[in-house]
Amino acid sequence: MIAGIVLSVVAVAGSAQTPSSAHKTASTAKTGTAVPAASNFEQLSKDADRAREENRSDDAIHLYQRALVLRPAWPEGLWYLSTLLYEKERYLEARDLLRQFVAIDAEAGPGWAMLGLSEFQTREYSRALDHLQRAMSLGLGGRKEMAQSVFYFVAVLLTRFEQYNDSMNMLLAMVKSGQQLESLVEPFGLAALRTPFLPSEIPPDRRDLIRMAGQGALAIEAQHQDEADKLFSGMIAAYGNEPGVHFLYGAYLLDVRPEDGIREMKRELEISLSHVPARLRLAEEYAKEEHFEQALPLAEEAVKLEPKEPRAHMMLGEVLVAKGDLAGGIHELESAEKAAPQLVRIRWDLLRAYTAAGRSDDAKHEKEEIEKLNRPGASL
Amino acid sequence: MVVEISLLVFLFIATPPVQGLPQKSFGQIVQQADAARVADRTNDAIALYSEGVRLRPSWSEGWWSLGSLLYDQDRFSEAESSLKRFIAIAPKPAPAYAFLALCEYETHEYDHALQHFQAWAREGSPGTDELIDVAGFHWALLLTRGGRFPQALYLLDAKAQKLGGTPALIEAMGLASLRMPSLPEDYPAQQRELVWLAGKAAYYASAHEPYRTQEYANRLLTRYGGQPNVHYFRGTLFAFEKDRSAEAEEYEQELKISPQHVPAMVELALVRVYQERSAEAVPLAERAAALEPKNSRAHYALGWGLVDTGRPQEGARELERAKQLAPDSAAIRFILAKAYRTLGQKEQAKRESAAFLALKDKQEVLAYSQEKTRMPKQSGPPKQQ
Repeated sequence: MIAGIVLSVVAVAGSAQTPSSAHKTASTAKTGTAVPAASNFEQLSKDADRAREENRSDDAIHLYQRALVLRPAWPEGLWYLSTLLYEKERYLEARDLLRQFVAIDAEAGPGWAMLGLSEFQTREYSRALDHLQRAMSLGLGGRKEMAQSVFYFVAVLLTRFEQYNDSMNMLLAMVKSGQQLESLVEPFGLAALRTPFLPSEIPPDRRDLIRMAGQGALAIEAQHQDEADKLFSGMIAAYGNEPGVHFLYGAYLLDVRPEDGIREMKRELEISLSHVPARLRLAEEYAKEEHFEQALPLAEEAVKLEPKEPRAHMMLGEVLVAKGDLAGGIHELESAEKAAPQLVRIRWDLLRAYTAAGRSDDAKHEKEEIEKLNRPGASL
Repeated sequence: MVVEISLLVFLFIATPPVQGLPQKSFGQIVQQADAARVADRTNDAIALYSEGVRLRPSWSEGWWSLGSLLYDQDRFSEAESSLKRFIAIAPKPAPAYAFLALCEYETHEYDHALQHFQAWAREGSPGTDELIDVAGFHWALLLTRGGRFPQALYLLDAKAQKLGGTPALIEAMGLASLRMPSLPEDYPAQQRELVWLAGKAAYYASAHEPYRTQEYANRLLTRYGGQPNVHYFRGTLFAFEKDRSAEAEEYEQELKISPQHVPAMVELALVRVYQERSAEAVPLAERAAALEPKNSRAHYALGWGLVDTGRPQEGARELERAKQLAPDSAAIRFILAKAYRTLGQKEQAKRESAAFLALKDKQEVLAYSQEKTRMPKQSGPPKQQ
């Protein structure tokens, strides 16, 4: 699946102009099909372009390399040579050229995209994620296929870096944008089961489980409840003792049959003793049902297990406020806000808590922050 | 852990450029290069520093700045050349060794990278917190690749205490814990789950969270109990908790799967000594020492076992061999003193006891290495040369 996506990226990258608006593509010129003995830069660059356009990629690579010896900072040459090398799976060479390319034009989103994709192939995953995200923020100049690929790789890398919620949000956005669903089944399954692997790293005896989870998650997204029920039931029957499966099923059930959802979450905690998201979902459900005595120890355990997790502090803060411990609740909510200032729900919690505590200035401040966060374009 | 350290913290503040002069003297290039760097006009700065070092190859600050700017652009091969020039001419190039090693890691010159991390450590591991973290982490990766797993884990453990369980750290701890001589970027993708589970267990052990350690160690056992090194690793986790019976059981399991597993033999022998079952320890340690004659810990276990089974003369010989291989190990000196006392060699016993007292605060994990590793220690930024 990944291979298909990568090829489409290269096809787009290689056929397009260089990504920088500052550099125009070198004009083409008539040359023979054999590699000429040209020695000046102008001739070499024209011959290289011609060879590329005629799909004589080996000739083109050779010619671009010779031209770049004469003019090492030639952006078009760096771009086309790196995309040709990428296509030939010579990722290390492509990566090094792309590093030079983005050093010359740091605003070229497609350059960062190709660099990130090359680094993905050389398994420099942390750099790949950074550079692909940079490409996303700079924009890809209308290259739709490249954008889809960048989103895909960012999503799977976020999962590998255990940023499951962010990954899931990206995958959902990809579904909404009409991306082919089959390519998303495994990424969805991995993120939903909170398994920090790339699709290529799934152990063979776990692929079926991951796919069932992914198909179930996609069925929920498509609001095909019967299908989701069937898939998740099958997953539980086949893999009922595996970590993560009861959490996934439970998260789904909490929305449709809360009692069954609670049962599944409890089962997850029997299997995965330190599962923080299961504790938080369970605490949330109990708080919703106003069973605060049951919610409190779960939220406290979550904070103890993951002291840096803002949602754990948020949940504990909500429960404490609901139980009437305003000071304790505000303390937890402020901890949550410090760790995740962009989370609107924490701001709303604090607005209500400050109001209840008579801290009108603080409440006003939270209201202003909420308005800022809710403005179009603000990151949520 | 992406290496994105701004080397600019090491650089001094530049004066504004001189404008409008028809020709550029060396002094003008220096000023303009520094101004370009301070203004984040990186490509201009690189061009100007390149011109400056071309005009005056002895300009060490120029090589340093050029190397640092190229490093920040991930142009490691080019940065490497500049840093080498800087090291060759600067009187105190210590932090540059770490950056050079990081460049060499990226260009896959791993043996050179190891040498330069060691050179950096010999100078006291100077640098910012960020440099120490990144360099220490990559050094640990190379130690793992070279099969020096305890030393790697020692460095990674220190990072875990400081930085928490980042995904990169967990992966590195998993590789070292499973004694896989690989880098994170080159082990088989199909072993990702194995490495991740081991890394999680190792991290939580390091964070002193026994329940979570056990949770991941059990998952590791369920999924990969038949794989080499898994039981050995679980044994080391039980050693952490001083659960000797469980520890011994895991080493025995490992030896069923990997009959030539020397570390499992050695650790099992030591457990038997702790359990006052030294007669069982001796044949295990003998076998380990025969398989790896330069393994100081094997000779230590054998020596201790021999002393405790009434063979102090032979025991002292093995312990002397162990001492020769690991002269900084306090534990070896302690048991050697005991052996000499048993033999009535009071002066030698006194000498070894004194050595024990002098060494006892040193890290055993390092003392056992044949090539000593120093832990990076924090220090201020280096002085501009």
